[in-house]
Amino acid sequence: MNAELPPVADQGALFWRLRARLARNGLRVMLENGRVRLFTMIGTSAVVSAFTFGVSLYLFNELAVNKIPFKGAIVEALFDLLFFTLGTMLIFSTGIILYASLFTSPEARHLLCSPARADHIFATKFQAAVAFSSWGFVILGLPIFVGYGLISGVPWYFYALLPLFLLGYVILPGSVSAAGCLLLVRYMPRNRKQFLTMVGLVLTAVALFWLYRIGMGFRRSLVTAGRELDDLIGQFDLLRSSVAPSHWMTRGVMAAARGDLPGALLPLAQVWSNGLVMFLIAAWIARRVYRTAYDRLSAFGRGKKVYGTSALDRLMNALVFYLDKRTRVLVVKDFRTFRRDPTQWVVLAIFGLLMLIGASNFRQYYSADLAIMDKYAISLMNLCGTSILLCAGLSRFVFPLISLEGRKFWILGLTPVSRDQILRGKFAFAATGSLIVAETLILLSDVLMGLPPEGLVLHAVAVAVIAIGLSALNVGLGAYLPTFKETDPSKIVVGFGGTVNMVTGLGFLVAVIGLMVVPFHVAQLAKGATGGRVMVNPWVYAGIPVALIVGALAVVLPLRAGARSLRDMEF
Amino acid sequence: MISIRNVTKSYGPKVAVHDLSLQVPAGELFAFLGPNGAGKTTTIKMLCGLLFPTTGSVSVGGFDLRADGDHARALVSYVPDQPFLYEKLTGREFLRFTADLYAMPSTKADEKIEEVIELFHLDEFVDDLTERYSHGMRQRTVFAAALVHEPKLLIADEPTVGLDPKSIRELKLLLRKLARDGMTIFLSTHTLDIAQELADRIGILDRGKLLGCGTMDDLRRQANQDGSLEDLFMKITEETPEAETTAV
Repeated sequence: MNAELPPVADQGALFWRLRARLARNGLRVMLENGRVRLFTMIGTSAVVSAFTFGVSLYLFNELAVNKIPFKGAIVEALFDLLFFTLGTMLIFSTGIILYASLFTSPEARHLLCSPARADHIFATKFQAAVAFSSWGFVILGLPIFVGYGLISGVPWYFYALLPLFLLGYVILPGSVSAAGCLLLVRYMPRNRKQFLTMVGLVLTAVALFWLYRIGMGFRRSLVTAGRELDDLIGQFDLLRSSVAPSHWMTRGVMAAARGDLPGALLPLAQVWSNGLVMFLIAAWIARRVYRTAYDRLSAFGRGKKVYGTSALDRLMNALVFYLDKRTRVLVVKDFRTFRRDPTQWVVLAIFGLLMLIGASNFRQYYSADLAIMDKYAISLMNLCGTSILLCAGLSRFVFPLISLEGRKFWILGLTPVSRDQILRGKFAFAATGSLIVAETLILLSDVLMGLPPEGLVLHAVAVAVIAIGLSALNVGLGAYLPTFKETDPSKIVVGFGGTVNMVTGLGFLVAVIGLMVVPFHVAQLAKGATGGRVMVNPWVYAGIPVALIVGALAVVLPLRAGARSLRDMEF
Repeated sequence: MISIRNVTKSYGPKVAVHDLSLQVPAGELFAFLGPNGAGKTTTIKMLCGLLFPTTGSVSVGGFDLRADGDHARALVSYVPDQPFLYEKLTGREFLRFTADLYAMPSTKADEKIEEVIELFHLDEFVDDLTERYSHGMRQRTVFAAALVHEPKLLIADEPTVGLDPKSIRELKLLLRKLARDGMTIFLSTHTLDIAQELADRIGILDRGKLLGCGTMDDLRRQANQDGSLEDLFMKITEETPEAETTAV
């Protein structure tokens, strides 16, 4: 016989109250105990926004100088690409955060044991994941469009509608990602390795084919400057179709910029309504499959897989041969943890693809023999792109390493390995990996592009300084500003310490590239533009020793601060 | 209250629970024993609705956990061995959230919250954020939250871990009183003397199979020997041939 049917709570309102209370208490604690931390966070966000705003102002001003119409096809195509790129990034970042929150967090486990409905648990986790993954989107997106508005002269409601557009846009990719994440976990074939490899290969092939088409269109447009510009824009047809959400955003923003309010409101309604419908679909899917997906993931092939050392571990061990044996053991432990965490691998695959795209663009320019796109300019772009991706990659993977030791840090604390050794091990792990990846990409692209030996050496040294310096910054600041309570690395990265680390890393990049590489490239460009009449002044190399000193400081200071903090840490 | 019928749970090729059948009536204090990896936690997770059986069915209070899980879970409270609390809530706010989640009327919730605060001596720290709590304080708060909504079934996994001797004594008295008042208690523990002292019936699980189940006298008859629960446990788990218990 059934027990009496229990009453049902208004769970939607309950979870809203819970989130509000958690936010209020968190803010109060921050104001009481960590004002410096709060204001630094606001300050660094403001610096990033201001920097983006400044760059946007400059670039939109360049459009004005070159008499390119602000409200025409070129700017529209650029916005399409921007929104599409941001949407794609939101899909990946929300999916990864949501996967961790729905399937591995203690809170999810707690709520799944309660009468909380699966769709309500999903909704509350979805809100948190979207907020985490999209704050950067809003902080970077707003300054770009405010810059555009100021230069192109737009009506007041353009600014009023901007936050509505940006906030509305994060719901749709987030919901698509959430639905995909749930369905993938619930229905993924038993052999995940083969399935993921197949999906990865197909996605990579599609992306490369599409980039190839864009590259060819771009090349033709630069060489002939005729109707081929239309060809280039034509490569974005998929993004410009009436069913593409990124194009709804572009249409709406451009209509608001032109002063066509009804024309702006319709796409805005499209963005919001489709986003909310997609969210409802994702919540419906969650109601149907979340619990069974959780069960399936928990029961996935446990006991079948036999873990052991692999050739990759042995390679890592060999690469850090210069360390003592105990530290090498720690390095291999970090590497093994990294390679066994699928959420890390997914992000690495995205970074890898982005780096591949960055490094592969040179081929098209080279084969096109483009005088206008000087090889010095392209190689500098490659160097900047690779360095920025390196900065993002290290922030994502290396900065959280100490924090992820978390409450288990006492285990390391009790081992016969000094804390300095622990830090050195993590630094060696980061520096070795980033050096190999970055040097390979840069040297390969420079050789194929025919850069002279002095350029090659300069780039190799610059990338080495950047890779080693960024590794030290990430390891040092990771130890200096750890977040032991957080178990999700993607949340550690967007927290206070992660933000400070990211901004410091970007500042370091600008300093090293500006001092070491930019003068050389400017001189070479000037030489090329004057047909070789202007000789390269030896003073262009004057920044190299300064950059080396900056690099040395970036290694010594953070590691020293991190080591001191780690030594004083109680467990 | 608990009905487990021919339940098998597999993790890929490994069978964690094999053809388990168990009935626990309302008001009984049932202790679940077994070596590490015996399948106790998997069984508990199926009782909470966190996992589903590969075959067979689990129901609580007549509600099947798979078909009618929301209703079944509303009758259950689970105290895990690693308690979860929201770090940025106070103990009182967590109790209130729990009461609201189980749809308790506001006035009754207020009364029950005060009652469990007094019962578990939380008054000194209940208005602090839980991030400042020690393990023992967390465990007591989680117990208070588990009881605040007056569940029909309380499931506790190693409930005494992290508690001081006085708290353990008080918990044992409380569990007996709750069972007397009609609450079903399903206890998983490695502390055999607690099981012997408290439980109405004891189940011994090893390698996914229920090797013995009943009162102390039943187990003695089954093991064909007298002695403490420790002696019986060792005899029953060691006596069972590998082939008989390997659930593959």
